[in-house]
Amino acid sequence: MNLSGPDIKKYVFYISIAGVFLALSFGFYRLQITESSFYSQKSIQNSVKMITRIPVRGNIYDRNGKLIVDNRPAFSLYLIPSETTDHTIQVISKLGNIPEKDIRDKLRKAGNFQLVKIIRQVDMATLTWIQENIVDLPGVEWKSEPKRHYVRTSGLAHLLGTLGEVDDRELEKESQLEPGDVVGKKAVERAYDDILRGSKGFKFVKVDALGRVVEALSTDKTAEPYPGDQLFLTIDLRLQAYADSLMDGKRGALIAIDTRTGEILTMLSKPDYDLSNFTGIIPTDIWNKLLHDPYHPLYDRACQSAYPPGSTYKLVAAIAALNEKIITPSWSTDCPGYFQLGRRTIHCWKGDGHGVLNLAGAIKNSCNVYFYKLGLLIGIDAWHKYSKLFHFGETTGIELTNENPGLVPSREYYNKTYGENRYTRGMLANLAIGQGELLVTPLQMAQFVSILANRGTLYKPHLGYKLLDPVRKSWKKIPIRSERIAGIDSSVFNFVLKGMREVVDGGTGARATLYGIPAAGKTGTAQNPHGNSHAWFIGFAPYVNPEIAICVLVENGGSGGHVAAPIAGAYMKKYFYYEGKYDYSVERRIREIAAKRDSLRADSLRALNVPEPDTLESD
Amino acid sequence: MINIMKKIDVFLLLSVLGLITLGLVALYSSSYTAMSQGVGTNYFLKQLIWAIVGLAGVLIIYFIPHRWIYESAYFLFGASLFLLILVIFFGRMGYGAERWLRVGPMVLQPSEFAKLATVLAVARFISQDSVNLNRLKDFMLAALFIFIPFVLIVRQPDLGTATVFVALALPMFYWAGLKGDNLFLIIMPILMALASTHYYAFLFLMIVLVVFLIYSQRSKMILIFNFVANIVVGLITPFLWNHLKPYQKNRIIVFLNPEADPRGAGYQIIQSKVAIGSGGFGGKGFMEGSQTQLRFLPEQHTDFIFAVVGEEFGFIGIFLGLILFCILLMRGVNIASVSRNRFNGIVAIGIVTVIAFHAIVNIGMTIGFFPVTGLPLPFLSYGGSAMLTNMAMIGLLLNFYKNRFEY
Repeated sequence: MNLSGPDIKKYVFYISIAGVFLALSFGFYRLQITESSFYSQKSIQNSVKMITRIPVRGNIYDRNGKLIVDNRPAFSLYLIPSETTDHTIQVISKLGNIPEKDIRDKLRKAGNFQLVKIIRQVDMATLTWIQENIVDLPGVEWKSEPKRHYVRTSGLAHLLGTLGEVDDRELEKESQLEPGDVVGKKAVERAYDDILRGSKGFKFVKVDALGRVVEALSTDKTAEPYPGDQLFLTIDLRLQAYADSLMDGKRGALIAIDTRTGEILTMLSKPDYDLSNFTGIIPTDIWNKLLHDPYHPLYDRACQSAYPPGSTYKLVAAIAALNEKIITPSWSTDCPGYFQLGRRTIHCWKGDGHGVLNLAGAIKNSCNVYFYKLGLLIGIDAWHKYSKLFHFGETTGIELTNENPGLVPSREYYNKTYGENRYTRGMLANLAIGQGELLVTPLQMAQFVSILANRGTLYKPHLGYKLLDPVRKSWKKIPIRSERIAGIDSSVFNFVLKGMREVVDGGTGARATLYGIPAAGKTGTAQNPHGNSHAWFIGFAPYVNPEIAICVLVENGGSGGHVAAPIAGAYMKKYFYYEGKYDYSVERRIREIAAKRDSLRADSLRALNVPEPDTLESD
Repeated sequence: MINIMKKIDVFLLLSVLGLITLGLVALYSSSYTAMSQGVGTNYFLKQLIWAIVGLAGVLIIYFIPHRWIYESAYFLFGASLFLLILVIFFGRMGYGAERWLRVGPMVLQPSEFAKLATVLAVARFISQDSVNLNRLKDFMLAALFIFIPFVLIVRQPDLGTATVFVALALPMFYWAGLKGDNLFLIIMPILMALASTHYYAFLFLMIVLVVFLIYSQRSKMILIFNFVANIVVGLITPFLWNHLKPYQKNRIIVFLNPEADPRGAGYQIIQSKVAIGSGGFGGKGFMEGSQTQLRFLPEQHTDFIFAVVGEEFGFIGIFLGLILFCILLMRGVNIASVSRNRFNGIVAIGIVTVIAFHAIVNIGMTIGFFPVTGLPLPFLSYGGSAMLTNMAMIGLLLNFYKNRFEY
C-alpha cells in the first residue's frame, strides 16, 4: 500500500465514512435502546390525553330531608390556546367581564391544545349567542358543568357559602385538585367540600397533533366520576325561613341549638344576599353594591363578628360569685340608680334605681349597680377563669372557617395594654355587666346558654347531621361530641337558672314568654361605639328538660327586652308548634282575655282617676 | 452474472434501490392517514413516479459516452448558474425563501441541479494537469467555481443547501492532489472559530497548531501569518457572536438545547427524537407509529422522513438505512479510486461528498446532532428535483464504473 498514493486517500474516505456512520449509529442506539422507555413515555404523553370528568356535587338538605341546594345544568366556556385569535379574546373578555390580560395569562400558562376554562357557568342566552357566532370565534369550546341552585334567595348565604375556582394555595394542599376546578369557598360548602365534591372520573383518548380526538382508549385508570355525598344539615329549613322573616330588615343574627345534641336548627345572619348571583359571573353592579353596602352583607354576623354581650354576660359574673362563694344568694345591696366609683359616677339603666336587691332580683331586673359591686368583689382573675370555663375567647369549633374567637381580657391583657396595674377598678366593674373590652360572638352566646340549659354539659354546636352516599344508598351519621364543664356546683346552676326563668316570667325578658311552655333567658342591651345599643336575648325552653336554646342579636337594635326577646319568643313558639307542643289558639285566647282584663282594669282605673302603671320595664 | 458485475456496480445499484424502497415505504405510511381521510397529497405515488423517471435517467446516463460528460461540464455549470439567476427574478416563494422555478406543470429547484453541475465544473477544472491546487492562484480559481453558486444560493436564502458547496470543495481538492498539510491549514481556522468559546479546547488547538507549524517546513512568513490568522479568528468569533441578532442567537441556542424552546424552534427536534426513541429496537410497526400517524412529527415526508423509519421500524430499520448509505458511499469511493480517468474520479468523489453530506446532516438532525437545516435525505425525502439529481449522480457513478479502465 502506497501511503502517499491514491490508496491512502481511499482509506481516508472509507474510515471517515465508517466513523461518521458509526457515530450516527451510536446516536440512534442511545435514543432507541438506552433511552427508549423515556421516549416511549413521551410519545404516549403526546398522543394520549386524559379527559377529566367532573362528578355531580352533592345536594344539601335540611334535617327533615327538605332540599336546600341542588344542581342545574349550566355550561362553562373554554378556550383552546392554539386556535384562539385576538378577536376571540376581545369578545370573551367583554362577555365574561374579564380583563384581556388575565385571559392571555391563563392561555400562556396552558399547553397549546389544552382546554382552558375562562368563564364559569355562562347563562343560556350568552351560550346561544356564542353558538350562533362560533364561526367568528375560533378556539371557543363549552362543556357542561352543573351549577348550584338554591331553594331560597334569602337566609342561606352565610350558612351555605359560595363556590369558586380553586386557588393556588388550595391546589398545593390537595393533589386531587386541578386548575379550573370548582370548590367550596365559604361556610358549609367549604367545610364539607371534600365530601360534597365526589371523585373525578378519568377517560383517556388518543389525539392527533392538532388535539383532535382520534379514538377512545380503555386503560386500568379509566374511571367513572363518583358523585359527592348528599349532605343533610342539622338546620330546619322551615325555622331558618321563619327566622329570616323575623329578622327581615334588621341587622344581626339568630342562632338556635337543640340543647340535647348541639345540632344547630337555625343559623342566620342579616343582612345577607342571594347566593344564586354567585354561581357564575357575578354581575358587576350586584357585586359593587354588596361590597360598598355600609351594612356589609357579606359579613357573617353569627360567628364572624364579635360584639360586647351587655347584660347577658351578668350570668357569668353571677356563676363566678356563687361558685367561688364570694357571696351567698341572699347577699343584697341597694341600687339608687347610680354608683360612685372614685370620682366616676356610673348609672344603672333604670334611672330612679331598683332599691334593695338580692341576686335573684338583680338578675331578673338586670340591675347594673348590683353587678358593678359584684364585679369589684369577684376580681379579674375569677371572672376570667369562668369566662374561659364557658369557652368564651375561643372558637366553638363549628365546621365554619373564619370563626371569630372574640376577646376575654385577662390580668395579663390589661397589664400589657395599659401598663402594669394601670387599669382601673371601673374597667373590672364594666366587665361584670358585659361591657368594656369583652367581645363575644352570637354563636358563643348560643353555646353558653345551651350549656346553662344542660346544667354544665356542652354538646358542641354543629351543622352536619348525616351523609347519604347516593350510589350505595348508605347513610353516615355525623357524630355528636360533648363535654362536661367541670367544677360548677349544681346548686349554682339551680339558682342562676331560676333567675333566668324569672327574667322571662315578668322580668326584662317577658316579651319572650311562651304561653304554656315555661321559658328562661336573659336580655342584654350592649352599649357600643358604633351607635345605638345592640339588643341581645339568650334563652332556652322548656325550663324543665330543655329542648332548644336560642341567641338573638339585633345590631344597634336598642333594648334587648323590647327588640330581641320578642323575636326569640316568636321563634321558640314556632319551634314548639312544629314539634306539636304549641297551640297558637291558646295563646290567642289568653291574649284576648288579658286584653279584655286590661281594658276593664284601665276603664275602672280611669273611673277611679288613678294613673296607669308603667308597662314592662326592660334592659 | 460475473459479466454483469463487471459492467454494473450491483452493490451500488442495490443499495440505491434499497434506499428508494425504504423511502417509499416511509412515505406511504406518512401519507396514509391523510389519504384515507381524502385530504393531503399522495406523496407516495408522486415519489414513485419520480423514482421511475429517475431510473430512466440512470439508464440514459449509463449509456452516454463518458467523454460527453467532461465536454458538457462547463455548459451545464453555466446553465445552472443561469437558472439560479432566473430564480432571483422569477422565483417562487416557499418557507420564506425563493427556491423554486415553475416550468410548465413542474416546479423545479435549480439549486439541486447546481450541485451536480458545480461538481462537474470543479472536477473539470482541477483535473487538468496544468492545475496544481497547492498553488495559491489555482486554488483560488477552483474556489471561485464554488463561490459563485454558493453566493447565489445563500441570497435565496437557503443556507443549508449553500453549505453543501463548501463541503464538497475540500474532499474534491484533496482527491485532486491538495496536500494534507495545506488542507490542515484551511481547516484549522474553522476549528478555531468553533472552539473559541471554550478555553481548554482553544488552548488545545493552539498547541496542535504550533506543533504542526514547527514540524512543517514552511517559510517563517507563512508560519507567522498562519499563527496570527488563527488567533484572530479565535478572538473575533466571540465578538461576532455578541453582535448576532437575538433571533440568530436563539436559533443556535435552541439547536444546542432544544428543550429551551419546546413550543417554537425546538419542537421539531423534540418530536423527531420522541418518534425515533419511542420506536425502540424493533419499531412500532408499519403504519403504527403514533408520532407519524397523529402528525406530531413535523415535515415527515421531507426533512424528517428518517424519523418515520425510526419510529415504525426501530433500530433495525435505522441500521438498515445506515448500512445501505455506507455501502453506497463506499462503492462511490471505490469507483473514484478505480477510475483511470482523473476527471471521473474527482466527479465520483464530489458525488460521494454531496450524498454523504446530505445524508449525515439530515440523519444527524433527526437525532439532534445538527440543527434543522432543511437538507433532504437523498433517495428517501420526497422531492422531484432532488430525486432526479441524485439519480443522475448514480447514473454517473455507474457510467464511470463501466468505463473505469478508460482514460
